Amino acid sequence: MPINKAEKPDKPESCDNVKVVVRCRPLNEREKATGYKMAVNVDEMRGTITVHKTDSSNEPPKTFTFDTVFGPESKQLDVYNLTARPIIDSVLEGYNGTIFAYGQTGTGKTFTMEGVRAVPELRGIIPNSFAHIFGHIAKAEGDTRFLVRVSYLEIYNEEVRDLLGKDQTQRLEVKERPDVGVYIKDLSAYVVNNADDMDRIMTLGHKNRSVGATNMNEHSSRSHAIFTITIECSEKGVDGNMHVRMGKLHLVDLAGSERQAKTGATGQRLKEATKINLSLSTLGNVISALVDGKSTHVPYRNSKLTRLLQDSLGGNSKTMMCANIGPADYNYDETISTLRYANRAKNIKNKARINEDPKDALLRQFQKEIEELKKKLEEGEEISGSETSDSEEEDEDDDGEIGEDGEKRKKRRGKAVVIPVSATNLLLSSSWCQKL
Amino acid sequence: MAAAAGGGWAAVREKFRAARTLSAVESRKDPETEPYRSKYSARALLQEVKQLLSAAEEGGEARLLAVRRAVLEYELGVNHTDTEELSAGEEHLQRCTQLLEPHRLSPDCVSLYIQAQNNLGILWSERDEIKTAQTYLESAEALYNQYMKEDGNPPLDPSEHFMAEEEKLTDQERSKRFEKAYTHTLYYLAQVYQHLEMIEKAAQYCHTTLKRQLEYCGYYPVEWALNAATLSQYYLSKQCFMESRHCLAAASVIFSQAEQAPSAEDNETEQDQQDLRQRRAEIARCWIKYCLNLLQSARKLLEDNIGELDPDRQSELKAQRKKEEDEKEKGRKKAVLFGTSDICDSVLAMEEKVSSVYPLDFQEAREIFLVGQNYVQEAKEFFQVDGYVTDHIEIVQDHSALFKVLAFFEEDYERRCKMHKRRIDMLEPIYADLNPQYYLLISRQLQFELADTYYEMMDLKVAIGNRLEELDSHTIKKINSLAQLAIKYYELFLDSLRNPDKVFPEVLEEDVLRPAMVAKFHIARLYGKLITSDSKKQLENMQTSLEYYTFLVDYCKKYPDAVRAVETELELSKEMVGLLPTRMERLRAKLCPFI
Repeated sequence: MPINKAEKPDKPESCDNVKVVVRCRPLNEREKATGYKMAVNVDEMRGTITVHKTDSSNEPPKTFTFDTVFGPESKQLDVYNLTARPIIDSVLEGYNGTIFAYGQTGTGKTFTMEGVRAVPELRGIIPNSFAHIFGHIAKAEGDTRFLVRVSYLEIYNEEVRDLLGKDQTQRLEVKERPDVGVYIKDLSAYVVNNADDMDRIMTLGHKNRSVGATNMNEHSSRSHAIFTITIECSEKGVDGNMHVRMGKLHLVDLAGSERQAKTGATGQRLKEATKINLSLSTLGNVISALVDGKSTHVPYRNSKLTRLLQDSLGGNSKTMMCANIGPADYNYDETISTLRYANRAKNIKNKARINEDPKDALLRQFQKEIEELKKKLEEGEEISGSETSDSEEEDEDDDGEIGEDGEKRKKRRGKAVVIPVSATNLLLSSSWCQKL
Repeated sequence: MAAAAGGGWAAVREKFRAARTLSAVESRKDPETEPYRSKYSARALLQEVKQLLSAAEEGGEARLLAVRRAVLEYELGVNHTDTEELSAGEEHLQRCTQLLEPHRLSPDCVSLYIQAQNNLGILWSERDEIKTAQTYLESAEALYNQYMKEDGNPPLDPSEHFMAEEEKLTDQERSKRFEKAYTHTLYYLAQVYQHLEMIEKAAQYCHTTLKRQLEYCGYYPVEWALNAATLSQYYLSKQCFMESRHCLAAASVIFSQAEQAPSAEDNETEQDQQDLRQRRAEIARCWIKYCLNLLQSARKLLEDNIGELDPDRQSELKAQRKKEEDEKEKGRKKAVLFGTSDICDSVLAMEEKVSSVYPLDFQEAREIFLVGQNYVQEAKEFFQVDGYVTDHIEIVQDHSALFKVLAFFEEDYERRCKMHKRRIDMLEPIYADLNPQYYLLISRQLQFELADTYYEMMDLKVAIGNRLEELDSHTIKKINSLAQLAIKYYELFLDSLRNPDKVFPEVLEEDVLRPAMVAKFHIARLYGKLITSDSKKQLENMQTSLEYYTFLVDYCKKYPDAVRAVETELELSKEMVGLLPTRMERLRAKLCPFI
């Protein structure tokens, strides 16, 4: 088979990892007034972020490298174009895409994701995505039809809640089906016709997220929220039939960056990842970490999020994580911990590999056959297939089988309108799972 | 004891007790804005107690006072560590151990001393100084062992130093608390070893922790069972089948206790039931892996250089097994045995159900296979395809792998072929229903496995055919159709690598490089195996075969990094690329002898 020239050669590093983007916000007025110093240095050209400790000069600065980094001067539209836009494009083509937002309160996560809606140039990733989607739909021609649906859910304490549902207390189940993949049973979905609709529904979900939470801050810091946009597009194919393709965009607001609040009076640093777990209730995690995942089974340890996003993290979807950090020196520990987390996300790889037996036996046998073949060729003897007489019947049968196979294959292709490429092959490593 | 004699001592005890309650109970209710409010209150109380004790210093008994002060230093040390003031915490804990140093082996001090060292270990681990943490924890471990050897009586619990005589604990309670502190030492050490990447030691300490949880009744059955089942998987990767089986048997026994126990509350929800069923299925899956690994390891030991069962190896291993049976294993077993005698019997009975030694013939292999297959059914009961696609398919893949390894032990080719057919029958329908948009990777795994299985069946049919005088048309048809099916699935796999414009990637990604090359290689070979009496057709097949071999050779020429992934396949492909044209030339000459 000849090698065809690939039209869009993928950058090797963006193929199978999560694309990680870090944005650092500028010092705010209060910080300037208080006299805090910048502890973060962003090199957009090199894609590096350097953090130094301002109080103790003897500690060497720490440098992290990411796919893309944005400094305090960065513009909302640049952030959108360089990060989310390609993902939205692929969703419109019928792939799945996921954007994770990560960062502590006060690091500009909300500004990056939502921004100031009223001011066009200050809009964040979410409103820009909405506009992009409906802009694309408006431009579509001919028989192309779109159906856009949204849903919004929250995972808190390993329980899934429908943020758009009537009954907020209902606990929903994560399920899977061979034809549709992972889904949430009974999750409500709303059809939307324009960006404003989408906006309104998201705002409604936001409100529901805080209802019932005794402490909003504490609650949102420990819960993940997933806003999902499903875009179905039906258009006439070259064969004259209507084809439907479906892409999904998950916008994930990740918990986990919010640590225990700083203690005002004694003003202590935030805890780094504790090296020793005190409670025996975590024994299971310790044991799991010892097991090599290959040819073993490690019992599932609560992670609804991982399960829910398994198609985003497990094969054919484009995934981006946007981590936000604050620039001031008093944020040092938070910043380092966020950057470490983002750094880990960079290395997420898929573990689902082809189980291929090393066929030594087969190869040795083959080797023998080749030797025989060589000998025969040297001896000038001709070699041919076995000579049987009832060739006609056999040929017919052969053709019949091939025909059937061919047809089956066509059918399969017909069903799977979108044949996914291996755009991103990622999966959560165990440490990442725990963290999530 | 001047001050302690009167109401003063009672007040001291009261304050101490209040501090402990604040720290352990009240602090959980602290608001997020003041997470350490109760801890700080507790600290203030402890400081007061310390003041009162110093005032009493004069006439008191020096030893008793020193120990009480050590208890306070300990509590203050833990308090400061909890509130993230590590340096202050360290100072207090160090003062505690200094005060106790001379008496650390006596029953009134040993427990406190061990707990202080535990906390110093934690403190240093938080500073990222894991080696220092290790030193403290190992010395706590050593002290426990020395005390148990030299004395062994249940020692005082630290809190007793601030109790009235009539409140003092029973020996039983003392022992329970002491052992619990030591269990924590071991558990912390397990984590330290894990961080130091001393995996074997870490596993050993996890094992001991589990064992002690069982002995001192400090466990939740379901959680314990799941942990033991997980540990069994560690032993699997180390080929320690006896230990693995022991963990699994204990897991099953403890789990069934949890199932049988009349549920504490009758209002057990549907969800709880569901969770319990899931856990049971998880343990079943661990058992499946046990059976599978045991069979696969045995195959590795038994196979000759063309992958067939080697009878010499077989009799050698059988003789060896007889010799070893008695000696080694019993010694090894003692060290890791779980549980008190009542549990022990059930665990042993559970172990009886499946062997932990390598099966050396079909009969032995079959018994293990059947156990594995039962667990497959059990696991599938919960992990049904509708609802749990990924898990379900993983289980089916294991089932298929069980058949595959069993086939190795089967001598009869026809029966072996039937076993592979069983694999096809379970994999094909699952594959057909799967939407590759959401299950791309699983789809690829299934495509590859189906292709390999058809290939294997074809090989077997060829071997069966070779034993016949003459290939009959039925066998030929069978061989050809199996080969075509194998080709079909390899092609489907290769198609899955194409981009949306249906173009095959120019550069193969690292994770699919070898599978893709192997698929091409196998297709090449399969075209070479197709049987036809039509020479023209044969030429065509050889041409196709050549093209696929050429792909490998050309690709590796272009991307030399790919060579190490397919070294042998590349060698063979090169040879074929050299030989096939000559062969085709001859065939053509035979077709048109006059040209």
